[in-house]
Amino acid sequence: MNLAQLLNGISLGALLMIVSSGLAMIYGLRGVMNFSHGALYMVGAYVAFAVTTKVSFWFALIGAPLVLGVVGAILELAVFRRVEKRSPIEVALIAFGIALLIERGVVAIWGSNTKPVPAPAALSGTWTFLGTSYPSYRLVVIGIAFVVAIALVVWLWRSRTGLHIRAASHDGGTASVMGVNVDMMSLIVVCLGAALAGLAGTLAAPFVSADPSMDTAILINALIVVVVGGLGSIAGAMITGLALGILQVLGNVYVPSVAPLVPYALLIAIILWRPQGLAGTRTQ
Amino acid sequence: MSAVNERVATATPAIDDVPLPQAVRTGLNRRSLLIGLGVAVAVFLVGLAAPSVASSTYNQGILVSGAILGMVALSIAFLAHRSGLVSLGQTAFYGGAAYLVAIATTTWGWSPLAAGALGFFGAIVLAVIIGALCVRTPGMSFVMLTLAFGQALYQFVILDSVRKTTGAFDGLSVTFAPNTTFLGLTQSDIATPSKIWPLVWGCLVVIATIFWLAGRSRFGTLLEGIRENEERARFSGYNTYLPRLAAFTLSGAAAGVAGVLFAFTSAYVSPDVMTFSTAGNALIAAIVGGVGTLIGPVLGALVYVWGQNKFASTSGSNIDFYTGIALIIVLVFLPGGIVGSLERLFRWAKGRLRRRSS
Amino acid sequence: MTLLKAEGVTVRYGAVTAVDAVDFAVDEGVIHGVIGPNGAGKSTFMDALSGRRRLTTGKVFLGEDDITKRSPTWRRLRGISRSFQQTSVFAAMTVRAQLEMVARRTKERHLDSVIEALALGQYLGARCDSISYGDQRRVDIAMALVGHPRVVLLDEPGAGLGADESARMLDHVRELCNAREVAAVLVEHDVDSVFRVCDKVTVLQLGGVLASGSPADVRGNQAVVKAYLGSAA
Repeated sequence: MNLAQLLNGISLGALLMIVSSGLAMIYGLRGVMNFSHGALYMVGAYVAFAVTTKVSFWFALIGAPLVLGVVGAILELAVFRRVEKRSPIEVALIAFGIALLIERGVVAIWGSNTKPVPAPAALSGTWTFLGTSYPSYRLVVIGIAFVVAIALVVWLWRSRTGLHIRAASHDGGTASVMGVNVDMMSLIVVCLGAALAGLAGTLAAPFVSADPSMDTAILINALIVVVVGGLGSIAGAMITGLALGILQVLGNVYVPSVAPLVPYALLIAIILWRPQGLAGTRTQ
Repeated sequence: MSAVNERVATATPAIDDVPLPQAVRTGLNRRSLLIGLGVAVAVFLVGLAAPSVASSTYNQGILVSGAILGMVALSIAFLAHRSGLVSLGQTAFYGGAAYLVAIATTTWGWSPLAAGALGFFGAIVLAVIIGALCVRTPGMSFVMLTLAFGQALYQFVILDSVRKTTGAFDGLSVTFAPNTTFLGLTQSDIATPSKIWPLVWGCLVVIATIFWLAGRSRFGTLLEGIRENEERARFSGYNTYLPRLAAFTLSGAAAGVAGVLFAFTSAYVSPDVMTFSTAGNALIAAIVGGVGTLIGPVLGALVYVWGQNKFASTSGSNIDFYTGIALIIVLVFLPGGIVGSLERLFRWAKGRLRRRSS
Repeated sequence: MTLLKAEGVTVRYGAVTAVDAVDFAVDEGVIHGVIGPNGAGKSTFMDALSGRRRLTTGKVFLGEDDITKRSPTWRRLRGISRSFQQTSVFAAMTVRAQLEMVARRTKERHLDSVIEALALGQYLGARCDSISYGDQRRVDIAMALVGHPRVVLLDEPGAGLGADESARMLDHVRELCNAREVAAVLVEHDVDSVFRVCDKVTVLQLGGVLASGSPADVRGNQAVVKAYLGSAA
């Protein structure tokens, strides 16, 4: 395997890392397996398409996460908060229903054809990195993803809000008695999770193009990542996401005939070995 | 209140010389068994007339497809209702059986009956293997694991390396020699909805009856107990793993029957039968119809297939929009699904009427 | 004759030793009380005896047989049953359905006598989550007593009940166990009730055995008086 292939894996993994960390955060705090997360990612890609054609990709990079943050707020306030007493599986299925609606909404607005999103002109070339020339846009994606991931971790472990989120994720009832505004934390987390999905969708758009069926593939991969990483564990999801991206590319290189099965094999092996996931403490 | 209370035990007699008292019994006595089987036969006979009511071939085709999807939805509903296990991987058995039939007939030249048997038993074997790995972890983990197994199988059939066997994205046609028949039906009979209907309808009624019996039997009560409180079931002397595996296998077998019938009636199997969206739609049909009932999932599936044909368009099917809406409405406002809610409404109205008349 | 025996039973969670080298024996037909302050390891010890919790070291015997590695299911079918501190019933099932389910498995022929003894007759047709907490406690205990177990482990049968109701429950349990010739291990907070209904009492403290013997001996034991009973002695 050469460096370019490794970088392919890392860029794929970096996107998974961003999508999955949002999914894991929402699960950790809300106990909701957000089956509409893939649809949020897809909306991110379409917003990126719309903004890029009207203004520029750089605006999309800011605009899409903002739009998705608002979508997340609606999702939290109009849906999750109203069904928080229901069983986790019911809420997951409601989210699945919402994903179907979002998908049709996207088709209604943008049609069912694939929408290509060009990478910004400044990044359309290649850079030479450790003696290998590699598309500069992908290097930037990797860079942005890592900066966001590190910022997220620092924010969660250093800020007061981060402390409150961790407390509420660990034990909502106790945290609420201790004066943590759990409702507010949920809102922040779902907004942020949706915004991260939007960011990932935007970053992915130039190399996968916006397409109304792009949600399922990323959803299934992100679900696998979150379960393998340990339900609700953000660090577990980040590391697993990155690892899965690299593993998929490794699979393509070394066992091309069965490469698509790699994520599933990983999930099944991990759940059988450690049902709570790599970094997980809870089994639900 | 009845027999149990009337028996006043004074002293505790010696253990071995007393017959099991009335109190030890199940929800299935001879009378209810006979009534149930009678209803099943009657429903079967009445249902035979369905093709003449749905006069056009188009409508008859919807009936056949709806009944087949109904079996899958029923299998999901049985597992969810009795065991509390929500499966997003029922396509593994449905699609698995369909692929086995296609491969056996077209590629290996097996007789249709042998191919059908292979599909059915193949689905059972698959269900035992997948179930053995999945039923250990209930709740969300079970959903994820079944989803993973279903999708792994989907990814498997579209692999380029098995294109020769499965046809990858192109799928496989199901063809057999003109002089061979499947349970007396030639290939052109099978392609005629009104001729295949008695078989499809019969399978559906048999599956529903088996699920009814299983649910009402001691086995069903035990499943309910394990669903309610697995630990207590273990501390009451029950193995909790095997009954769940048995329920999973039964459910997989029913989906397998549906897969075999699908392969024959559509004469073509594509990876579509294994997609996430197929798994999701069957689950939605079951939930929207009502997992706690036998009619609900079948009705849900029928309506889904009807809608799928009605709303099909070039830009993907708008049926997704309506299923999404229906799923959300039912989950939020109509727990128990449409049929379950109607049952509740009916019981409530009956109670009101009785109170007023007394 | 010794029915159920624990030898050097130790249970650790991480750095905490909840049960520390406990030796313990229950004789046939004896009601054996286990008392001790909060955190003494009583519930963990019950979990160890019933197979709910794996032992770190030590052994559990049923008669002569080493059953340390046996599952709860296995133990139940050979005569070790238990109730739970936090009521553990089949919430959505009727009282009748769940008692019958347990009775079938454990070959109980006198389910009605258990139902009567615990005054559950009027609730048989009700869903278990629709009856009062005290009634649910009795369903829990009924499920442990069904099927003629040889020893029943009762983890605070009076938990969550009022003082009177709790004392009455213990008297009930004593009568039932004696009538059915079942030995019992009874963990309970209400020390006076334990001394009243039990034939033998073991005091746990910080995971270890502080004293064990007849109620009178334990009541008079200086270490127990000092550590636990205080003015109650």
